[in-house]
Amino acid sequence: MSLSPHTTPSGFRLPSIHAAPPFFTQQPNPATQAVATEQWSRLILSYAKHRNLFTIKVEDAQTTGGDWDEILRNDRINRKLNTSYLAYILEQMERSCRLAFDPPKQSISAVLYWRTPEEWAEVLHEWATSTGQLNTILTFYEIIEPPVPSPLSGVPMSILRRAINLLIKSNRAQLIAVADGEGVRFLNGSTSK
Amino acid sequence: MGVLKRYTKPVDGTIPVPALLYDDESLLTSQESVGMYDGTQKSPKHQNGTVYTTTHRLFYVDHSHPHSRSFSLDLSSISRTDYYAGLFTSSPKITLYLHANNPSRTVDASSNDLQTWECEVCSYKNPPGLSPAASKLCGLCGVPRNTSQTNSGSPSPIPPKLTQHSSSQFLSTSLPSSATNLLSTPGSSTNPAQDAIIGANGEIPCPACTFLNHPSLPACEICGTALPRPKNVAGHPFARSAPSSRPVSPSPDEDEEDDDDDDTEATRLVRLSFRKGGDKSFYATLRRSLLGKGWESKVRSSSTPASQASGTGQGGLNSILRTVENTAANTQSNMEDALQDIESLAVKARDMVRMAEDLNEKLTVATATHTASNIIEPEEATFIRSSLSQLGLQMPNAPVTLDMMRDERRWHEELARELASVLQGNGSSWKQPGTNDEQGGGMMRKRGIIALDEVWGGWNRARGVALIPPSTFLSVLPHLPSYTSPPIHMRKFSTSGLSVLHTPPYARDVFADRMVTLLTLGPKTTVEVAHEEQLPVGLVQDMIAEAERFGDICRDEGGSGINIFGGRTESGEVRWWNNIFMDYEWDGQAS
Repeated sequence: MSLSPHTTPSGFRLPSIHAAPPFFTQQPNPATQAVATEQWSRLILSYAKHRNLFTIKVEDAQTTGGDWDEILRNDRINRKLNTSYLAYILEQMERSCRLAFDPPKQSISAVLYWRTPEEWAEVLHEWATSTGQLNTILTFYEIIEPPVPSPLSGVPMSILRRAINLLIKSNRAQLIAVADGEGVRFLNGSTSK
Repeated sequence: MGVLKRYTKPVDGTIPVPALLYDDESLLTSQESVGMYDGTQKSPKHQNGTVYTTTHRLFYVDHSHPHSRSFSLDLSSISRTDYYAGLFTSSPKITLYLHANNPSRTVDASSNDLQTWECEVCSYKNPPGLSPAASKLCGLCGVPRNTSQTNSGSPSPIPPKLTQHSSSQFLSTSLPSSATNLLSTPGSSTNPAQDAIIGANGEIPCPACTFLNHPSLPACEICGTALPRPKNVAGHPFARSAPSSRPVSPSPDEDEEDDDDDDTEATRLVRLSFRKGGDKSFYATLRRSLLGKGWESKVRSSSTPASQASGTGQGGLNSILRTVENTAANTQSNMEDALQDIESLAVKARDMVRMAEDLNEKLTVATATHTASNIIEPEEATFIRSSLSQLGLQMPNAPVTLDMMRDERRWHEELARELASVLQGNGSSWKQPGTNDEQGGGMMRKRGIIALDEVWGGWNRARGVALIPPSTFLSVLPHLPSYTSPPIHMRKFSTSGLSVLHTPPYARDVFADRMVTLLTLGPKTTVEVAHEEQLPVGLVQDMIAEAERFGDICRDEGGSGINIFGGRTESGEVRWWNNIFMDYEWDGQAS
């Protein structure tokens, strides 16, 4: 019964516990389950970061061929996560602020915070600085889908808004109304302070 | 003279007296070596016999001729008694003065106590064997019996009020069934009047339709009218009590016709002469019995004698209800008596046990010190011991009862010691019916864990007496570990609520350790663990649930397998794993 880490075709290194069948069963013992929840959320977040995935849905546990197949099921031990257990895990992750249900007031689909909004704000500002776009007005669309792929490619609008709001609070960005919606102008945070 | 003859009824003294009694009669006392005086004269045939006093009657059973010379005397015919203490060679005597009219005779005439009779009001079949007074009333509804007989048109018994003593001729003719005053010999004991109406072959003409019936029929074959029946023709000279006929052969010197002449208070008496003492206690008992008026008690209990005699109006529903109430009250008092007896027995039992203990010790000491001289014969000692054990007083195995112990705590400790021997069979020979443990060992000799209810049942089965209630059982259990080796503890499973007794290997943590060791070899299902532990699956399920609750193991339900039709068939059964989550360090992709 020696378990070992396993590397998926996508190059993700699965933890050894992923090869243990009990990992796919919800445990009645609360202490045991707390450990399992912790390992699952870490696995989900690190896989999301690896694949640059931002959303997870409860039905991902059912469907095959989705983005999450590599971690939500293990064909080698003939186990997969069932939807109720995944729903439970997502709920626990939401409590520890590692995801937000999006849209809110439901618990079926969620946006993962493999970076916190503060981290995203830093990433955003760094990106603007490094690409020389300070003081230029950018639309949200230009940030999410830049011509050159960036760490921010595909970031959900909700995360982007929270990051920009954080930058505005620290006077490193300004929200500007433009003809076709909203725009943002990044400022040099250090000078404004 | 003829006093004895007139007032007494012959009985068969070869039958034990208790068998002669009526159902509602009871034997009070007896005295041997008593002689009878008939009037003021010694009765030569009744000089050595045993006298019995019952609630209803006085029996004299002759020593030499019990069959022919024994008789009974109804206490109801005694008007008063006198006691003479005796002087020099004169024995103590009891004088019984008798009533002028002889109730016993009339009662005897009206009662046919060898037969069951059916009450006309409630159709209750009254059993035979009741005393004359009691059998005059229906046992269920209390309606007097003679009303039915008058209505049926059969020869009616004369109500006691109308009957006068010694109108023997009148009695004989009007009451063919009661041949009490027969003058003839026993061989032809039917009286002349009876003979006249009996047919050639002993057939009996029906008084209503004159049909000649077979002598053994109690009622007319044609019209159902009750038949007059000569007793001795039926062919049972003596039955239970007081047959109506008198098989005592009449002595030539007796002349009953003259009885009425000297029938004065002075001569209407019977004396009992106590040749060998016992007179005082006998007299006391006799007086008590006379005062108790046991022969009337039945009448009194159902209705007052006056209303009873006045008519049948007092019968019916009220009487039935009262009878039922009386029966219930009797049952109740009997039950209470019995329970009190049991209690007093239980109190005595302690003394008995202590005495047996002492005796046993003395025997042991005696045999130990005097082996050579053999003061106490070994056979005798063995006999005493075996009788002790037959009485259930063999000390090592005697069940502990509360009254053996002074306080409750010590009692519980003693019980715990006893329970320990039941469970582990320590040195005693508790037998367990129903178990096939051939060594007679304890219930847990071969089993490390056992359900509480089974222990309770087994213990009480082993005790047999003074069973232990569950509450006491539970309070004994905390004392158990100190009397058992290895210590036996109680354990309650939180999942199912099942309580068990177990030896150390089945304690929670020990079992969990064993389980972990087992699971390092690979996951196991509950059934596999049960097989490994040689325990029932249900029990193992509880123990595993406990281990899981404490986080020693975790589960793999496996039900959400991807490839149902894949090589390994995995049913939905839970497989148990060691707790892989405990102490797990992340070894996946570093973020």
